Amino acid sequence: MLVKIQSIANVGLETVPVDVEVDVASKGFPGFTIVGLASKAVEEARERVKTSIINSGFDFPAKKITVNLAPADLPKDGAAYDLPIAVGVLLASGQLPPSILSNLTKMFFYGELSLDGALRPTKGILLLGLFAQKKGNCQIFVPAKSAAEATVVSAIKVIPIKSLISLVDHLTGLKNIKALKYIPVTDELDILPAEFDLAEISGQEQAKRALIIAASGGHNLLMYGPPGTGKTMLARALPGILPPLSTQEALEVTRVYSISGLLKPGLALIKRRPFRAPHHGVSAAGLIGGGSNPLPGEVSLAHLGVLFMDEMPEFPRSVLESLRQPIEDGVVEIVRVLGHVQYPASFTLVAAINPCPCGYLGHPRRECKCSDKQIAKYHHRISGPILDRIDLHVCVSVVEIDKLAFVNIDQNKITSKIAKNQVMKARKIQEKRFKDLPIYTNSQMHNREVKKLCFLTPEAENFLKLASQKYDFSARSYFRLIKVARTIADLENSPKILVNHMAEALQYKQMI
Amino acid sequence: MEYHKVRDWQKRPELNRLKDLSNPPKELFYIGKWNPDIFQNCVGVVGSRRITNYGKQAIEKIIPQLVFNKKTIVSGFMYGVDQYSHEICAANGGKTIAILGWGIDYKLSGYDLQLAKKIIKTDGLIISEWRTQKPTLWTFPSRNRIVAALSREVIIIEAALKSGSLITARLATKLKRKIWAVPGPITSRTSAGTNNLIATNKANIWLADIKPDPKIIANSDPILDILLNESLTADEIARKLGKSISQVGAQLSLLNLNGQLVERGGKYYLNDN
Repeated sequence: MLVKIQSIANVGLETVPVDVEVDVASKGFPGFTIVGLASKAVEEARERVKTSIINSGFDFPAKKITVNLAPADLPKDGAAYDLPIAVGVLLASGQLPPSILSNLTKMFFYGELSLDGALRPTKGILLLGLFAQKKGNCQIFVPAKSAAEATVVSAIKVIPIKSLISLVDHLTGLKNIKALKYIPVTDELDILPAEFDLAEISGQEQAKRALIIAASGGHNLLMYGPPGTGKTMLARALPGILPPLSTQEALEVTRVYSISGLLKPGLALIKRRPFRAPHHGVSAAGLIGGGSNPLPGEVSLAHLGVLFMDEMPEFPRSVLESLRQPIEDGVVEIVRVLGHVQYPASFTLVAAINPCPCGYLGHPRRECKCSDKQIAKYHHRISGPILDRIDLHVCVSVVEIDKLAFVNIDQNKITSKIAKNQVMKARKIQEKRFKDLPIYTNSQMHNREVKKLCFLTPEAENFLKLASQKYDFSARSYFRLIKVARTIADLENSPKILVNHMAEALQYKQMI
Repeated sequence: MEYHKVRDWQKRPELNRLKDLSNPPKELFYIGKWNPDIFQNCVGVVGSRRITNYGKQAIEKIIPQLVFNKKTIVSGFMYGVDQYSHEICAANGGKTIAILGWGIDYKLSGYDLQLAKKIIKTDGLIISEWRTQKPTLWTFPSRNRIVAALSREVIIIEAALKSGSLITARLATKLKRKIWAVPGPITSRTSAGTNNLIATNKANIWLADIKPDPKIIANSDPILDILLNESLTADEIARKLGKSISQVGAQLSLLNLNGQLVERGGKYYLNDN
């Protein structure tokens, strides 16, 4: 008898339906074959399925069993086909009531089996949920440990399966498993306290201000300063002042994490903006994404959040250069043998740079041991094109703790909550400005939009001219300065860019 | 300009120092408002006619501090170091005495006249030992002896190996006045004389442990004031002034652009040039 069980394959973030066709032949030598461009993990499903069916107390038919994963030309990977194959075998050998057959088109099975018949957490459940939602009025049978991922998807029934036995009991009507309750995403997105509050960082007012500007206008940020001055803390505080994720955005982020298998079991949705800090030993594939079946890299895991690159010059140059496309386009395209996938990668880049290899150049108390040549070499590791894509450059200097103690800095102390409000107001203004355009923030403006949408007062224009003469700006730096000034003006709710905004923007010009 | 004669200067206690001279002047004439206090604490600041940028910087550093300490600057009203010293002193609101190398009746014009007016305006004096005397070779060394005698200390800013200011230095040594010389680059001719004075132990070396006066900057700004003593980061400036970092940042950019500040490695410095 032949049955068709529905499952899916995730190619990048795209979900493709996969029919798991199981045939238990009445004639022929006993055997178990899987066809349909199955990877090693899928091939091994034979042993897992066979053992878990037997260990669950069912009968594994001593007949010729053929499994076909269609479409046959799509490479399939992972252990998630264990469950549909097992269900197919049980159904085709008559161990499940045939009444299910009529409902099979509305059922999706997805999950990895353990030898004792239990189900193991499996990645990509959210994508399955979203796919089932599109089909409409479907049930998905998924491992109980990962089932929470799909609860944020409306209009589907999520049946959490603990083991093969409980599934059979449910299907035969012996013991029903309750579908998980749908959790509306909006409820989940209540403003969470920031992981790191700006108020925890002493001093560094200018760097904090730069963070607010970066968050408001979506600008990339480079921090320059000796070690131990709080660069990492500042970077970690950035996600906390970005506006909360919208429903759509939260799903987008969770999708990436779901496909990477990085969602913690039981976690339904990623509610915070991600913060990724790859180590500088990362490979280009690790950063951008890759593998024979391409998985998202750090840039995609930082999608809609913050990608922090500490000690940026220590990253291999080829790795840094690979950042150009995602910074510019907000997506990465990965081409591998097994296909061509696209992952979203729209992140805020925060880079930290030491002034020199030893880190103490310009330190008030410690001596720098680097030669001029070493320093120049260190700075040259970051290419101009990358630096040009970073709008804000800020100096993070050594905080003299004893000095801080004498001055009452509480008056100027800004908390993440206040900062977040400022950011959200500025974002609202930008939303209005770009309502007819496919961009959301000032940093995404191209020169054409800058000319059209950024109005400078004559004084500001004059200031900009003088500044570009003095510092010998390139055309790109020129426009970058206007964009930053535009964000500063937005923060002050000023429709025009005044000379003060321009002057403040000049504080964050390129330094190296 | 209207001038007066100092009647019986020998009887005026404020001019007692002039009696140290072996050949004190016979008569004295002055322009300005006579106030005995001006002679209390005189410092002679002299130097070469050919002033270099370094000399100017040195004067801009030294004079404001002297003014701050209520010293009167005495100099020779010759172009170069002398006039620049008078100028900076007047600009800082200090009192200065210009000893002319010519008769008091001699008509001034151009910059000389302007400077003379500035000196009078800040309660300074212009003094000469002659009524009508044209400037000639001998009048200048003669004037130098008055500069040396009036001063308690003499600072030589810049001098070549053969310079009139070395005469002032020699006279001041004889009168047991304290001599200071500003060291200069060993490659500079205009500092060869001063360096030589230091090398031969005839003058003390003047090292700039002085703090410039805020008034030196005409276009004053609170940021410039607090940067006089130390270089600071933008954060520290904002903290000191109790202003928001955005305001301070914008102001720093403006000051940087019009050349009053320089930024190096995240710290701001006053631009001394």
